[in-house]
Amino acid sequence: MSTYQERLRHRYAVLAGVLLVALGVLFVRLWSMQVLSADEFAAAAENNRVREVAVEAPRGRILDRNGEPLVTNRSTLGVTVVPAAKDDEDLLYRLSVVLDMPYNEVVERVTSVREAPLKPRLVAVDVPMRTVAYLAEHQTDYPGVDVSVVPVREYPHGTLAAHVLGYTGEIPEAQLQETEMSDYAFGDIVGRSGAERQYESVLQGLKGYQRVEVDAMGSLRRVIDEAEPVAGRDIVLTLDAGVQAVAEQALLDALADARADEFPNARAGAAVALDVTTGEVLAMASVPTYDPTLFTGGISQAEWDRLNAKDSEYPLNNRAIQAGYPPASTFKVVTALAGLEHGITSTGSTYYCSGTWTGMGEQWPKRCWLRTGHGSIGFTGGMAHSCDTVYYEIGHELHRRGNEELQAWSRQFGLGAKLGIDLPGEVAGRVPDAAWKADFNRNYPEYRTWLPGDTVNISIGQGDMLTTPLQMAAAFAGLGNDGTIMRPHILKEVLDAKGESVRTYEPEVAHEIGASEANLRAIHDSLVAVTTRGTGASAFRSFGASVAGKTGTAEVYGRDNYAWFTAYAPAEEPRYAVAVVLEQGGHGGAMAAPAARSILAQLLGLQVEHVKAQDRSR
Amino acid sequence: MTTTRLDKFRTWTNIPLVLIVIALLAYGALMVHSATSGFGSGAAMFARQMVGIAIGLGVLVAAWSIDYRKLEGWLGPLVVLNAALVISPRIPGLGSQVSGATRWLEVGGVSLFQPSEPAKLLTIVIMAIVISKFKGRIERGRDVAQVLAYLALPFGLILLQPDLGTGLVFIAITLGMLLVGGMKPRFFLILGLVAIVGLGAVIQLDIIREYQRDRLLVFLNPEHDTQGAGYNLNQSMIAIGSGGLTGKGLGQGTQSNLNFLPERHTDFIFSVLGEELGFVGAVVLLLLYLGFLVTALEIATSARDLLQSLIAVGLITMWTFHIVQNIGMTIGILPITGLPLPFLSFGSSSMITNLAGTGMLLSIWARRRAA
Repeated sequence: MSTYQERLRHRYAVLAGVLLVALGVLFVRLWSMQVLSADEFAAAAENNRVREVAVEAPRGRILDRNGEPLVTNRSTLGVTVVPAAKDDEDLLYRLSVVLDMPYNEVVERVTSVREAPLKPRLVAVDVPMRTVAYLAEHQTDYPGVDVSVVPVREYPHGTLAAHVLGYTGEIPEAQLQETEMSDYAFGDIVGRSGAERQYESVLQGLKGYQRVEVDAMGSLRRVIDEAEPVAGRDIVLTLDAGVQAVAEQALLDALADARADEFPNARAGAAVALDVTTGEVLAMASVPTYDPTLFTGGISQAEWDRLNAKDSEYPLNNRAIQAGYPPASTFKVVTALAGLEHGITSTGSTYYCSGTWTGMGEQWPKRCWLRTGHGSIGFTGGMAHSCDTVYYEIGHELHRRGNEELQAWSRQFGLGAKLGIDLPGEVAGRVPDAAWKADFNRNYPEYRTWLPGDTVNISIGQGDMLTTPLQMAAAFAGLGNDGTIMRPHILKEVLDAKGESVRTYEPEVAHEIGASEANLRAIHDSLVAVTTRGTGASAFRSFGASVAGKTGTAEVYGRDNYAWFTAYAPAEEPRYAVAVVLEQGGHGGAMAAPAARSILAQLLGLQVEHVKAQDRSR
Repeated sequence: MTTTRLDKFRTWTNIPLVLIVIALLAYGALMVHSATSGFGSGAAMFARQMVGIAIGLGVLVAAWSIDYRKLEGWLGPLVVLNAALVISPRIPGLGSQVSGATRWLEVGGVSLFQPSEPAKLLTIVIMAIVISKFKGRIERGRDVAQVLAYLALPFGLILLQPDLGTGLVFIAITLGMLLVGGMKPRFFLILGLVAIVGLGAVIQLDIIREYQRDRLLVFLNPEHDTQGAGYNLNQSMIAIGSGGLTGKGLGQGTQSNLNFLPERHTDFIFSVLGEELGFVGAVVLLLLYLGFLVTALEIATSARDLLQSLIAVGLITMWTFHIVQNIGMTIGILPITGLPLPFLSFGSSSMITNLAGTGMLLSIWARRRAA
């Protein structure tokens, strides 16, 4: 009996032992979690409950010189879809029906690789209220679909000045690595081209943040603390919206006229208008253009591909600063001035144009564009009628003097180098010389030598000479500003939140042409002759102001001629310079000069008329 | 010798047990109040819990008054009643389904209670009657087989619900009673081996439901799936760990109030306690449980006969299993099963069962051997 009692006590002891060990294990584990590792778990709990939400700062506006808003901001209702939903075909199909969008476009927006990998994709903006209400009521049927207020750029004037203004988009990954972009985060909206990009640091505000407490569903419970965002600063551009609109319309009209005439391929061109005394850009147009709202909420790959297609004429290109063209006869001002300065020609010089020039020997004849010849012609007449023979003579003589004087004068006119305009992507153009040719043809020894014909070719703005429309406008602005070329710029001032100017652009000298007053006067008189009795006379018939200008008709291999017109006005007291180029637009005097006339008319407060000129010269 | 009323009261009542149960009930009421206060229907739920306690106290008094020796002759009817209870939710028109399992008895659309809760007590009584017949010596294989045969019926039926947690409770209480009932140690070894082989077979043969397998896998690797099946465990551990030494304060638990904790008023009530009252609060609870179980053990040893000792042992193993399993799952050392925490978790079925069990202990104490 006692053994049974002992055995029973022993069994209870085992039971009590099991019980103690089990509770002991719980105790030890709780000690480890709540005393030793409490900090880690506390951090995890904080991480659960606290979300830091960046509050976007409104981006600064972009205004024209008169305070007219060109780019503003607005809030709109956008529908976003998390990228994880990209394979849910059923969901995306139903969404496309609700949003009244093509299914493919919804898929494309969600799968677009041009955005941050985890950020919800903006599928549609400006969603009507009833659609928003429908999505809100059927939230469970549309997992991952959200409606949010998104700030987007607004363009009150549509596509006006799209190239100068530029577009915005998500910051590219490569740019994020740059040290000056260290304040930026993945998915931030930044300026990607034009003034938006150039003045990114001014336009971009300071992001605010909100630390909020959320529950397990991610719903906001309360705001813990917050910092208000600081809006970006507004910038005032030198552009004049009125002049810009006229310039863009004038380009379109001129191209339409060219196509209606005998130049069916005229589809692209550029125009620039400068203030000759300050370098302010009053208008800068490039055709074809693009709609910057395409970039709202991230451009789709298909749209992007369309804008960069080979047959698109590359509408994203700002041809005014990003395209180099042979300046053709507009370059004759450089050749003429170099000739005057070196005593090779003068206002009293007389030339004879038979239509064929054999100055380099009978075996190397050069043709004047007027095959029948201009006959006996003086310095001013040579400019007015754009006689090639005159410039062949001058160019050839400059070549014989050696020292590449024509190239040196070209550079003094600001050609062959960037002018330093405050816009991204400006190209330098090209002033060809012996060193360039030797390098360019380094694999073709027989073509490496600079020949007299090369200088003769560039003396009429052909050969390998390339200039941007901005460079030619600035060169003529220099001629109209007593030989001083001001650096072209688009920024007028930066405004603070109260609208007070905090930074004003100070005009800078870019180049001094370095010619005598008398010689500049001679060029001036010859340029006035162009519009009164020369190749530009038809376009400027009964114009209300005196204009000093030059036509140009560039030959481009395999394409129709490019039409140029460059000018400054009023001739007696120059204020504005204009350059117009029409790709494959034909004759400068017939096609480009009327566009320049419209722009100058607007600048000078004259009646803007769409005139058609009857000039077949170059 | 005159006996005072207090002495008479002491004869019938185990005062430490009563005090500890009152303390546990108060602690539980506090935590349920805190856990449900964030719900829209929190006040109603708290009231329901109080009603459950009131009913439970009535059942406690009833259980107290029963002399369990008289049940010895009722083994057959008890086995049938127990089987009927366990299978009742499976009878069409009587059961209601919650997350893949049928655990509620429902009549006319009104959920009554979870029959598996009283079935735990019935199983304890049944197994105690069966085991006590061997008079403290279970030395033959066929004796063990006989005992297991009585276990097999309720265990098999509970797996049909399916309710693996309660099934494991049945096994635990049987093992506890077999230990005290005198089963030879080598049978424990053999049963252990059979259990391991059986568990492997269960996992291999897809006998358990998918959610159960997920819970097991998550237990083996908590980081496996922190948004899916591992979410509950992860959030529970964050809640308890972040409570630290003294907790965030009653009603101040962020994991709890912001709904990161699932089932916070029922299966994960301990996570709320750990978060809001910290290590100190958790240890106080463990000490209360320890006191409760040690007192129960004392009652078991002082029982008048083996049958009543075994009933007390069965109750002790049932509570120990619930406590260790429930707290263990909230701190990631045991897989997640839906076992409530005794006297703490929201839910009247388990509350009434636990109070009934307490009444059974008091009855055994009242009829104890003379000291």
